[in-house]
Amino acid sequence: MGINSLSFKNFRRRKLRSILTMLGVVIGVIALVVLVGITTGMTNYMKESTNNMMGDVTIMNSTGGGTIVAQPGSSFLSPETVDELKNMPQLYNIREELQFMTAFNQTTIYILGTSDWGQIDINGTHGVVINPAIEDMGYKIGDKITIKDQEFTVTGTFSEEAMGMGILVLDADKALPLNDNKTTSITANTRGDPEVIKDEIENNIDGITVSTKSDMTKQIEEMMGGLTLFIGGIASIALLVGVISIINIMLVNVTERTREIGVLKAIGFTSREVLVSILLESALIGFIGGLVGLIIAAIILQLVIILFGSQIGDIQLVQMLPLWLIAGVLGGATGLSILAGLYPAWRASRLNVVEALRNE
Amino acid sequence: MNDQNNVLEFKDVRKIYRMGDEEINALDGVNLNIKNGSFTSIMGPSGSGKSTLLHVAGILDMPTQGTLLLNGKDTSTLSGKEQAKFRRSEIGFVFQRFNLLPQLSTLENVLLPMIKPDPDKAKELLDKMGLNKKYKKLPNQLSGGEQQRVSIARALINNPSLILADEPTGELDSKNAEVIMSILQDLNKNEGVTIIIVTHNPLAAEFTDETIEMRDGNIIG
Repeated sequence: MGINSLSFKNFRRRKLRSILTMLGVVIGVIALVVLVGITTGMTNYMKESTNNMMGDVTIMNSTGGGTIVAQPGSSFLSPETVDELKNMPQLYNIREELQFMTAFNQTTIYILGTSDWGQIDINGTHGVVINPAIEDMGYKIGDKITIKDQEFTVTGTFSEEAMGMGILVLDADKALPLNDNKTTSITANTRGDPEVIKDEIENNIDGITVSTKSDMTKQIEEMMGGLTLFIGGIASIALLVGVISIINIMLVNVTERTREIGVLKAIGFTSREVLVSILLESALIGFIGGLVGLIIAAIILQLVIILFGSQIGDIQLVQMLPLWLIAGVLGGATGLSILAGLYPAWRASRLNVVEALRNE
Repeated sequence: MNDQNNVLEFKDVRKIYRMGDEEINALDGVNLNIKNGSFTSIMGPSGSGKSTLLHVAGILDMPTQGTLLLNGKDTSTLSGKEQAKFRRSEIGFVFQRFNLLPQLSTLENVLLPMIKPDPDKAKELLDKMGLNKKYKKLPNQLSGGEQQRVSIARALINNPSLILADEPTGELDSKNAEVIMSILQDLNKNEGVTIIIVTHNPLAAEFTDETIEMRDGNIIG
């Protein structure tokens, strides 16, 4: 019969009190895991889709900023630059992507030229695809639509919203003439190490920026990392409140059990053993609270995926709840709880045996 | 100087408590030898220092002055850890209010002081106390007499050289008090365990071989 199995019994002894204390940790963990899980899921999803959709390198006009999300209307690559790039033996599978704005029906719409229809979820067939905002203007599949004096036949629709603005997607080669043959970006695969080829291209052609997949992944990580940290910080406050309630409850427990602690010392337990047993008890609250919180958070995240999965892309639970998050939350909740138990445990271990035994 | 026959030797032991501005001499120069295998009762009115004597004897409290030898070892030289080790292996405590841990079963309470739990030994002791059917009962499911018998079994589990009992019959009716005193007497006579009890009860003191009277922190007879 070790003193440490006593910690488990004490935990069970005041069930309601232990459960209520745990609840603070559970709520903190849920807030933390759900919020961080969603941003982590988004980050991982963005990284993976970047990896899937992009070629090895993406090339833009350097004044365009080299960001992944190119600003429509920002600088374009000239046809001469595109030709130069197309002649480079290091590059193959070259695809032009362009986006620009144009006047249409007394408003402004986006025109997207793509070489990769696989990324768009189309109703109908690809070719000339419109979004709901243009549908609202009275266009449907089979209708003729005129952009910059050129007539197209709508072949499909897709559900992308852009704050009420119309989007029309065309094959890149059909869109290019509408934009004076200027393209926004070029993606290509490389023969050899993308990082080396990136330097070669940038040294040979002025005024362009080449991003490799890892550059883009890094940018996503930087952008989302700050957001995750911020959200995690806010959610951590909830966990902190839970942990502080552990300090409170363990102080109550220790005071209530003063005489028992006196007995333990009288029958030969050292102060250190008493200290460890109290720490173990608060660690238990943190660990079980963390575990329960994680399970509930996982269920909530799965519900988010089921309910909003179509809007946020094809995110899986493992992307939202990676191993580091599980380990960090469990370790964090347990570690903080041990810290919370330190002062009550120290008080218990310092109790004077004779006075403790006299305690009612 | 040190007599091998003595379990305990008090040498001019003083214990001074401070209550506000007042100093209380709970023990005022006690000289006392407790022989191996003896059965002693300490009597006296409240505040005479008899409980303090027992606490000092059990290294729960340290003397302010003087020395206490336990099995020949000066207790003032012991570290906190060594004190705990001594209490575990050499001393068994029996309290007035039993002080069993309420969340542990009878058997678990008896096993608690053991570093390597030996349930067979604990059961043997409980059987001897007439509690062979109560291993799994919690303290609040037992009568006062039964609880005190469990606490005696707990005190004996590590084969201590000394049992210290503070008012062991204080919360019991006379019939149960007699049972408890008989058990202690039997342990002393047949197993040679040295026992000291502090008591108010003259009937309990009658079971012991020697009675020490205390008053105002001193032994008066």
